[in-house]
Amino acid sequence: MSDLKLRVKEMIIERLKLEGMTPDQIEDEAPLFGDGLGLDSIDALELVLGIEQVFAVKIEDEAAGLRAFKSVQALTDFIAEQSKG
Amino acid sequence: MTDIPAHLPHRYPFLLVDRVLEREPGLRVVAEKLVTNGEPYLQGHFEGRPLVPGVLLLEMLAQAGGFLESDSLHGAAIFLAGVREARFKAPALPGDRLRLEVRAEGAYAGLMKLKGTVSCEGRDLCTATLLVKRL
Repeated sequence: MSDLKLRVKEMIIERLKLEGMTPDQIEDEAPLFGDGLGLDSIDALELVLGIEQVFAVKIEDEAAGLRAFKSVQALTDFIAEQSKG
Repeated sequence: MTDIPAHLPHRYPFLLVDRVLEREPGLRVVAEKLVTNGEPYLQGHFEGRPLVPGVLLLEMLAQAGGFLESDSLHGAAIFLAGVREARFKAPALPGDRLRLEVRAEGAYAGLMKLKGTVSCEGRDLCTATLLVKRL
């Protein structure tokens, strides 16, 4: 697992208080919302704030969120891409 | 700001903000609620020992949070979506001038996270994190 992806998973677990869950239990391609991790809109806001705090990357609007929150892999790519610029 | 009913749709007996002292829309609000023995809920909470119910302190913070929005909330649909880490440290009593301080922590997709403190004479009575959803 890439270092960034591991940090993303750790941030998700910590921020959403997914107690008892470990990074390797979160599948890279599983959707974060709905069927995958089953997160809701309040969790989405927590993630937006967590991503800003931990990775200094802003999710400006819902369109960006829709792209970033597709999966852990998508979120990792999004953060990598945004922190380059 | 004293024309509270022009901004909030809440009415007696559920309008729980009397005055807005400081207001930076989207960032921070400081408001006041003056507690009197005439509050209807103090009749039964409790007989002979009036104190403001803790849930109403949360409601006061939520209503103060309404002033983070620049526009009047008449006709807007805003609901409480969550309460976290609520702490009640001391009771609010008749005669108290309650200071309601609310800060916006962030927003996404119509959902806003607020941190609020109810205090009286420099002493914190209640602190909480609120989530408010605008539909």
